Amino acid sequence: MEFNKILVPVTGTTADDEVIKLACQLAKKSKAKIWTVYVLTVKRTLPLDVEITPDVKKAEEVLDHITIVAEDEGYEVETDLLQAREAGPTIVDEAVEREADLILMGVVYKRIFGQFSLGSVVPYVLQNAPCEVILYHQYTP
Amino acid sequence: MYIIIIGGGQVGYYLAKALLDEGHELLVLEKDAARTAFICNELGSVCIRGDGCEMATLEEAGAGRAEMFVAVTGDDEDNLVSCQAAKHKFNVPRTVARVNNPKNETIFKKMGIDVTISSTKIILESIEEEVPTHPITHLLDIQEQGLEIVEIKIPPHATTIGKTVKELPLPAGNTLSLVIRGQQKPFVPDEDTVLEAEDQIVAITTPETEEALETALRGS
Repeated sequence: MEFNKILVPVTGTTADDEVIKLACQLAKKSKAKIWTVYVLTVKRTLPLDVEITPDVKKAEEVLDHITIVAEDEGYEVETDLLQAREAGPTIVDEAVEREADLILMGVVYKRIFGQFSLGSVVPYVLQNAPCEVILYHQYTP
Repeated sequence: MYIIIIGGGQVGYYLAKALLDEGHELLVLEKDAARTAFICNELGSVCIRGDGCEMATLEEAGAGRAEMFVAVTGDDEDNLVSCQAAKHKFNVPRTVARVNNPKNETIFKKMGIDVTISSTKIILESIEEEVPTHPITHLLDIQEQGLEIVEIKIPPHATTIGKTVKELPLPAGNTLSLVIRGQQKPFVPDEDTVLEAEDQIVAITTPETEEALETALRGS
C-alpha cells in the first residue's frame, strides 16, 4: 500500500502516538505528506468562532506532542486545529479539501451502557470518507 | 445571522437550503430520524433530531443566541408552543410561524408571535387576484393595527356607478386611497370623485367592515 497524502485526526487519547508512528511508517515509503488535525467541537449554544481558551490550549498541547512523536520517527507533520460543530463531517471535508488518499484514525476501547462502542465519529468517517480509511484499535488488556 | 428552523419537512428543508445559500448559520430541529439523516446528507450537519417544543432541546440548539426562530411544522400547536418558548424563555428577537389553519392566525398574534404565514391564505389571495369575478382582492394585512388593504373592482352593472364618493355609505374608519381607471394614471380620490364602471379602487378597511365597504362601493 502506498499513499501520498495522509490525514491523521487526533483526539488526545493514548492511541494517538501509535497512530502517528504508523502514519510515519506508511508515509516513508512514498515520502507522503502527513496532516494531523484536531477537531475542537463547539456546542451550538456558542458561536462557531468562539475562543475556548482551555480547550484550545489542550488541543495545541496534543498537536505539539504529535509533532514531537513524528520527529522522533524522523518525519515532519503538518498540524491544524479546526473548530466545528461535529467532528465526523469536518474530518471528511478536510480529507476532500486536501485530496487525502488515506485517513488513519485511532480509537481506544470504550463502553457505553456496558456495550462496546465506536462512538459516532468513526462510523461517520467510515461511511462517508472519500478515500481509504485505516482504523487503529488500541489493545486494552 | 443564527436562525433555528423547527420542522424539516418540505418547507423546512427548502427554507434551510435557501438560507444556507444566503450565508446564514442555521439549525433545523426535526422529530423524525430518517428525515434528519436525509437533511444532514443533503445539507451537511445542520439538522439535529429533537422536539422543538422541549426546553432542553431548544437549549441544546442554542436558542439563547438565535436571532430568528422559524416554526414551519405541519402542526399549528407545535409551531405556536415552540415559538412561544423561543420568544419568552430564550428571548429570541424575531419569531416566524407557519399557520396551517388560517383561523389560528389571530391566536398566534395574540400570543406574541411576530410574523405569521398562512399558506392557505396566500393561495386564497392569489385566487382572488387571478379570478376576475372575485369582488375583493386582499393586498396587504397590517396586523398590528387590525387593518387591511384591499382592491375592489366596480362591475359594469353596479348601482353605484355615477355616484360621488361622498354619496357612498362608507363604513366608519374606511378610506379610499387610490382609483385605477383604465389606462389613466392612478389618482387619489376626493369626495367629488365619480365612480365609473371597471374602476379598481384600493381601500383601507378592517376585516369586520370589509363586507360593508364592498356593498357601499358595488351597491346591493
